[in-house]
Amino acid sequence: MPETPDEAALALEFDVLAKRAGLAIPEDRKAALFAGFKDLRRMLATMRQPRTAADEPAGTFSIQSVTRGL
Amino acid sequence: MSNTKLFELSIADAGRKLRDGSITSTALTEDALSRIAAIDPALDSFITVTADRARADAVAADVAFVKGIDNGPMQGVPYALKDIYDTAGIRSTCHSKLRLDHVPAADSVVESKFKAQGAVLLGKLATHEFALGGPSFDLPFPPARNPWNREHIPGGSSSGSGAAVAAGLVRMAMGSDTGGSIRGPAAYCGTVGLKPTYGLVSRRGVFPLSTTLDHCGPLSWTVEDSAIALQTIAGYDALDPASVDIPIPSYLDGLDRGVDGLRIGLPRHFFAEAEDVSAEVVAAIDRAAERLAKLGAVVEEITLPDYDLFNACGRIIMYTEAFAIHEQDYQRRPLDFGQLTYLRMTLGAFVTGADIQQAMRLRRELSRTVNLQLKNYDALITASALIPAPAFADIDPNSPPNWPIQTMPFNVTGNPAMSIPTGFSASGLPLSMQIIGRAFDESMVLRIGAAFESATGLSGRRPALAQG
Repeated sequence: MPETPDEAALALEFDVLAKRAGLAIPEDRKAALFAGFKDLRRMLATMRQPRTAADEPAGTFSIQSVTRGL
Repeated sequence: MSNTKLFELSIADAGRKLRDGSITSTALTEDALSRIAAIDPALDSFITVTADRARADAVAADVAFVKGIDNGPMQGVPYALKDIYDTAGIRSTCHSKLRLDHVPAADSVVESKFKAQGAVLLGKLATHEFALGGPSFDLPFPPARNPWNREHIPGGSSSGSGAAVAAGLVRMAMGSDTGGSIRGPAAYCGTVGLKPTYGLVSRRGVFPLSTTLDHCGPLSWTVEDSAIALQTIAGYDALDPASVDIPIPSYLDGLDRGVDGLRIGLPRHFFAEAEDVSAEVVAAIDRAAERLAKLGAVVEEITLPDYDLFNACGRIIMYTEAFAIHEQDYQRRPLDFGQLTYLRMTLGAFVTGADIQQAMRLRRELSRTVNLQLKNYDALITASALIPAPAFADIDPNSPPNWPIQTMPFNVTGNPAMSIPTGFSASGLPLSMQIIGRAFDESMVLRIGAAFESATGLSGRRPALAQG
């Protein structure tokens, strides 16, 4: 993940992603949600580490867990 | 024992008395209902009290005992459920305006297991909205309060479960744990709280928060009672995709074997170097480590990856999975969610596909690292909460949700983890630690917890409010 963008870029990203998610954020909740969004961005940056395609994908799928209850 | 009040009887003690005929389930149940009526208006731990159902369950249990029928250790014993567990014919609200009128047609698997043993359902307990948003005063029901000090929070999201057990309204209550929602309330309320291994207990019929992090487990006053509850609810369920088909051991066998010769790892840097950690919490865990060593365990400091990595990994997964579950309601009726729920869960809308995949890859790495350590140690101990229970007045609903608890790592890894009291702060609030075990080795976690509990005698101290 690139460095955390400045405040204006973050605000734009926030608006775009909210629109993409189909959200109409109530005005009285917008400032607090934006503060949470900035905290989320910090966590996303913390989480990012160098990995290559050779690292095993963790989101595997198990057909057994789908069929065993049938 | 002759001066022991009914509410002070553990499940194990009550079970013995039910079987020797010295008490009845009806007496236990009426005592509990009276205590709920007298004490709970000050705690708000119950959303729904199922008095008629409880009395009918109790009569059925008493008849069974008279006939010599014994369906298991929970027969005739009152219990309660966090209000995200489906109960056939009984409202299950998730503490939310969106589910106020929801009456499930079928029981959750956990409820069906208690019912099959002939246990006595006292009611449904307060939670944070959808097990995430709270403590809040803008929901249909008030937030539960901490029995040790009503001005303080009981933790969440199994807030009613922690408060009700600590106040002696019920011996055992079921909670759920996605980032610490069993162990947090247990820590703040001074109870035992057990998050079993991911996949050991079916979540079917329990409203999901985050499907790859959700666990069902008990809160109780004693370790033995959590073992009894776990024995009742553990087991394979083909219809829970996460359920694991393994033999279920006896969780009571070996509970009294002590810790002599066990190897326990202590990732002290996790909590001792954390920002804003209470010196009382650190000192209590250091004393606990010394006590375990005196009991014969080998306690060694170890290093785990930074706590912030576990926290970021778990929260990103949790927000994403939670938002996906509620996506349509967020688009169509956002103002029906309480403010805290909205501010927390909506964050999942801002996570990209690549972000969540990276979180899952990190999760695998972190899980591997923790379980590599557990090849060298029988268990780990670390903090549950970094500070005693905060006051309601200290909760800022507009701040990002960085709770001062360190429970998320073992939702990320799936290992069993139990919060257990370690003492009290100068202000009289409970302190705690976690015991973490190898996957599906709940027996070891319970064994260490039972040894520590027995050595400290902390379960003898109840909140003043519990005395009525």
